[in-house]
Amino acid sequence: MNHQRLTLLGSLALAALCAISSTAAESKALAKKAAPQIPWSFLPLRESPPPKVRNARWPQTQLDHFLLAKMEKAGVKPAATADPRALIRRLHFDLTGLPPSPEEVEAFVRNFSPSHSPTFSPASGAGGKVSMRESEQRAVAAAVERLLASPAYGERYARYWLDLARYVDETASWLEKTSGAHLYRDWVIKAFNDDLPYDQFVMRQIATDQMGLPPADRPALAFLGLAPTYWKELQLPPDIIKGTVADEWEEHVDTLSRTFLGLTLACARCHDHKSDPITAADYYGIAGVFASVRHAEVPTMGDQFWLPVKKARESVSALEKERDELKKKKPAPADLTNQVAVIEQKIAGLKTNTPHFNMPMATAVEDAALFVIPAANNKGTVLDFKPGQARDLELMKRGDPNNTGAVVPRRFLSAFPAKDGQPRRFTTGSGRLELAQAIVQEAAPLTARVIVNRIWKHHFGRGIVDTPSEFGPSGEAPSHPELLDDLTARFIKNGWSIKWLHREILLSAAWQQSSLAPDSEKRDPENKLFARMPRRRLDFEAWRDTTLAAAGTLDRSFGGVATALTSEKNLRRTLYGTVNRHELEPMLRIHDFPDPAAHSASRTETATALQMLFSLNSPFLLAQADAFAARLEKEAGPALNDRVTRAHAILFQRPATAKELALATRFLTGRETDKRAWSEYAQALLASNETQFVD
Amino acid sequence: MNAILPLSRRAAIARFGGGLGTLGLLASLPGVASALPNAASPMRALPHFRPRAKRVIHLFMNGGPFGPDFFDPKPDLTKFAGQRPEGADLRTERPTGGLLPVPFKFSNHGKSGLPVSDLLPFTAQFADDLCVLRSVHTDNPNHGPALLLMNNGTMTPRVPAMGSWCSYGLGSENANLPSYVVLCPGRPVRFSILWTSAFLPSQHGGSYINHSNLDPKAMIPWLHNPRTPADAQRKQLDLLAEMNREHLATRGGVDAALQGRIEAMETAYRMQFAATDAFDIAREPAAVRETYGKGHFANGCLMARRLAERGVRFIQVYYGNSQPWDTHSNHDPQTRTLAKDIDQPIAALLGDLKQRGLLEDTLVVWGGEFGRTPVSENGNGRDHNPHGFCMFLAGGGAKGGMSYGETDNFGFKAVENRMHIHDLHATLLHLLGVDHERLTFRYAGRDFRLTDVHGNVAREILA
Repeated sequence: MNHQRLTLLGSLALAALCAISSTAAESKALAKKAAPQIPWSFLPLRESPPPKVRNARWPQTQLDHFLLAKMEKAGVKPAATADPRALIRRLHFDLTGLPPSPEEVEAFVRNFSPSHSPTFSPASGAGGKVSMRESEQRAVAAAVERLLASPAYGERYARYWLDLARYVDETASWLEKTSGAHLYRDWVIKAFNDDLPYDQFVMRQIATDQMGLPPADRPALAFLGLAPTYWKELQLPPDIIKGTVADEWEEHVDTLSRTFLGLTLACARCHDHKSDPITAADYYGIAGVFASVRHAEVPTMGDQFWLPVKKARESVSALEKERDELKKKKPAPADLTNQVAVIEQKIAGLKTNTPHFNMPMATAVEDAALFVIPAANNKGTVLDFKPGQARDLELMKRGDPNNTGAVVPRRFLSAFPAKDGQPRRFTTGSGRLELAQAIVQEAAPLTARVIVNRIWKHHFGRGIVDTPSEFGPSGEAPSHPELLDDLTARFIKNGWSIKWLHREILLSAAWQQSSLAPDSEKRDPENKLFARMPRRRLDFEAWRDTTLAAAGTLDRSFGGVATALTSEKNLRRTLYGTVNRHELEPMLRIHDFPDPAAHSASRTETATALQMLFSLNSPFLLAQADAFAARLEKEAGPALNDRVTRAHAILFQRPATAKELALATRFLTGRETDKRAWSEYAQALLASNETQFVD
Repeated sequence: MNAILPLSRRAAIARFGGGLGTLGLLASLPGVASALPNAASPMRALPHFRPRAKRVIHLFMNGGPFGPDFFDPKPDLTKFAGQRPEGADLRTERPTGGLLPVPFKFSNHGKSGLPVSDLLPFTAQFADDLCVLRSVHTDNPNHGPALLLMNNGTMTPRVPAMGSWCSYGLGSENANLPSYVVLCPGRPVRFSILWTSAFLPSQHGGSYINHSNLDPKAMIPWLHNPRTPADAQRKQLDLLAEMNREHLATRGGVDAALQGRIEAMETAYRMQFAATDAFDIAREPAAVRETYGKGHFANGCLMARRLAERGVRFIQVYYGNSQPWDTHSNHDPQTRTLAKDIDQPIAALLGDLKQRGLLEDTLVVWGGEFGRTPVSENGNGRDHNPHGFCMFLAGGGAKGGMSYGETDNFGFKAVENRMHIHDLHATLLHLLGVDHERLTFRYAGRDFRLTDVHGNVAREILA
C-alpha cells in the first residue's frame, strides 16, 4: 500500500499531478529520445502579407484577409453584416458591459444607414454598396471611439483582468491584510481607460516601485500583494511549514506565468518534462524571486509625506494603548474621565494636524528573503524574513522542499535567452524588475500573443488559441497562426496599445457579422473559421449592471472601497461589489464567478436552477423590476402599448413585435393600473433570454 | 426529460454527442446544467463499472474523534496509564504527557462480534453493517490541511471537493435538487473551500445549508418569493417562456444555451416546491422524528435521509459549528456528550435507510479529519493525531461486520493495512462505480483527479 509515502507535504500533491499529464508524453519522448520541442508560441513573430482572397470587397481591416482566405478554402461564406440594432448592442456590451440607451441606438441606426435619411439617394450597383459600407464603417468607428473614451470601458476590461489576477477585496481574517485591494482595481480601470501601453501595464504590476515611478503607482503591485497566503501554524516543525511556503511561491509563479506568458510553469516544480521546453531549473529560477519578497502594506505617497504620517500613526497607536490600559486599571483612577479626554484630545490633534494622516496604503510586496528555520527551542518554526535581501532557491526534488538539490540562480526561462545567449539573470534586489523586463523583452512575442488572443476572445467568444492561458505544449494550436502573428506584430508596432487592437478588431468585417448563419453553424459548429458571430451570454456582472441600467437605478460613481452586493443600497456596477476569497458571496458563486483563490483563464458558463431562483425571487430583482416598471410609466405614459414599446427599446434596442404586444396585453389586461402586474411583467423581461444574450 | 440539452456551446454537443460519459451529467441536466469536460479529457462513459453505491452520506465528526474510544480497543492504554513506555514512538506536535486510558467498556456485537464501546449502544445494534476502518492516516496534524485532504484530496486549497467530483462524474438523480448538499448547523473550519467545485463547472459545488433554522426557506437562498403567489408566478413564467420561445424561434430554433436556460427556469419553479419538501423534516411522522431524537445532528441525519431518498448524490452532515470534536482538554466527559448526541441519530439513519431498502446503495461514511493522541494533553485532553485513526463505512457495497487494518498497541499509528486518505477516496469512488484514475479534468495544463497519482482500492472491504 502506501508505506513509502514520501512526505507529509501538500506540494507532493501537485508534484504528482504534473506527473499524470506527463506520463504519456514522457514515455513517447523517451522512446524517441526527443529533445524539447520549441512551441510555436516561443518563436519570433512573423508578419505576413495579407493572403489573396476572391471576395475582395468583404475585408475591412487586415485581419479579414486572413480569416476570409481560410473560409474560402473551406468553402464557407462569411455571414452577412449584422443588423445595426444588433451591432450597437454588441458594441456596447463588448466595450462597456452596459446596454446602449434607446437614444444612442436611434442615433447609431441613423448614422449607419443614411438611406433612411431624406437627403440620401441610394446609388445603384457596386459603387452604391461601397459607399453604403463606408457610411456603416464611419458609424461603427464613431461609436467605437465614443465607447473607448467612456469610463465604463475601463470598468469592463478591468473586470476581465481581475479574473486573471485572482482579485479579492477581502480574505480570511487570520491572513495578510488586503485593505488596499480596491486601489489596485481602480488602478487597472484607469490603466485601460488611459490605454497604458501593455508592456508598461505588465511591468508596473510586477515592479512599479523599482521603475522610478511616483508612489501613487504602487497599488499596481497588488497583482503580487493579493496572492493567496495559507495559514502557517508555527508550532509545527519547519519541514511542514516549508511545504506551505513553497506552495505560496508556486501560486505566485503559477499566476504570473499563466497571466502574462500563457504558460503553466508550475508544472515544472517537480521535475523536467521531456517534451517541455520549461525545466524545473526554470521554475526555481523564477520561484527564487518570490522567495525574496513578502506581503506588505505600503504608502502611496513619498517619504516627505509618509514619514511624518508613519510617526503620527505610531504615536496614535501608543496613545490608544495607553488609554485602553488606563480604562482597565483597577481601581480606576479618580480623574479617569479627565485623563482619557486628555489622551483622546492628543489623538485627535495628531490625526487632524498631520497632513495626509489617512493616506491610503497599497496592498503590495517588498523585497525580503524568507528562510524557514527551526525555532530556538527546536519546537516549532520561525519565518525569518531578511528585509532588502534576496535568495536563490535550491531545486526541490519532486517539489519537496525537504529534498533539495543544487542552487538555481534567479533567472528567466532558458527558452528565452537575452542577447548574450544566456537567460537574463536577476541580480538587483529580488529581481522583480529584471523579471518584468524579460517578460516584455525576451518573451515579447509570447507575452504579446497572449494578450492579443485574450482581447480577441472577448470580442469573438473564442480565441485564435482557445486555451487563453496555455500557450505551451499542452495548449491548443492556433486556428490562424499567421493572423495571430501579424496582428501581434502590428500590436507591438502600435505601441502595445490595447485600444488600437480593439479598433482593428471592431472595424473588421468579421466582427460585424451576423450571428444568424445556419450554414456556417452546421458546417463549423465550433466556429473555428469565424464565419459568423457566436451568440454570447452576458456574464453576471454585465447582466446585473444591465438590470440596474434598465431600471434607471444604476449608480455610476467610480472606484473606491467595495461594498457588499447583498446590500439593498448597492446600486453600483457589479465590479465594485465585495469579493471575499474565504467566503464568496452566493450571488457571485452561483453565477459562475471564478474562484478568487486562483487565476481564472476564462469563465465556465452554466445555467442552473439556483441562478433562476435568483431571477425569480431575489429581493434585488424584485426591487429592480419595480423600478423598471415605474420608469416605463414615467417615460411612456399610461397606454399599455407605449410602455411595452418603451420596455423593448430600453432592454432589447428594438421595437416590440405584434406578437409581443399581444403577449403583454394578455398578461396585463384588466390589470393595466396594477403596479404589481407591471412589475411582474418587467421582471419577466429582465430575466429573459434576450436580456442575457448578445447576438 | 428528453428536452434537456446541455447548456454549454453547441460545439461541445456536436463534439461529444450524448456519448461522453457524462451520461450521468446529461441525464441529470435539467437546470443543473452542463459543462462538458473538454476534448482532452480522457473520461469515458461513467460509471466505469457496476456501482455498488449510488449516493454517499458522509457524517463528518469535525474536530477529530479518537478511534479507541469507539471501535479500536486498546487495553495497553490502561496497562501503561500515565507512562510513555520505552521504545514506543509517541512523538506529538504539541507537548503531551503519558498514555491516557479509555474509560469506556467494549463488548462484541452482532453475529460478527465486532467490538464497539458502550458509548454507542444504538449504533452497535448495526454492528453487522459496519465496516470499521482502523488504519486511516493523513498527512498533516492541523485541522485546515487535514480537512482539505479529507474533503478535497490535497492540502492546497484550490481543487474540487470529493462531492464535486462525484457530482461532476455521476450527475444528479433529481433534476430539482442540487446534486451535492452540505449540511452544517454553523460553519466548519475553512468553510466553503471544503465543498468547492474549484475548476469544475460551478453547479458541482456543494450547496451549503445551515440547518440550524429548519425552515427550508431560510436554508436555500431565494427559494421563496416574498410577495408573488405561486399561481401569479406561474402566469409570469408562462409569459417568460413564451417570450423566450419567440426569441429562440427568431434565432433558428436550436440553441442549447437558450434552451438550457428555458429548462432551468422551469426547474427552478418546481424546485421551490421540491426543495421545500425535501428539506422540510417537519413533514416526517412524529414516530420517525422520535427515532432520530433531538438536536442538530439528528435533524441533519434525517434531512440527509430525505435527500438520499430523492436522489441527491452526495450529502455531508457536519456534526457542528467550528470543530466540536476537538477535545484538547476534558476529553472523556466531552466525548461522552458527543457520543450520546450522535449515537441514536446514526442508528436511526442506518435503520431507516435499511427499512426503505436504501442502505444497499447508499454508502454511509463516518469519521473526522484525523484522530487523537493516546497520550494526554493538558492532563485530560487529547491532541491531534494524523498517523492512525478510525472511520466506518456502512451500506453501499462495503462489507459489514468487519474491521480493516490495525493501529499499534496504543492506537497511535496505523501499522497494518494502512489506508491513506487517497486510498479511502479511491475506495469510495470504486464503490460508486468509478475508477479513480479515470475520473479526471484537464485544467491548467494538467489532468487533475481526486487522488493525485495515489490511491489504492481496499478490495478486502468490498462486499
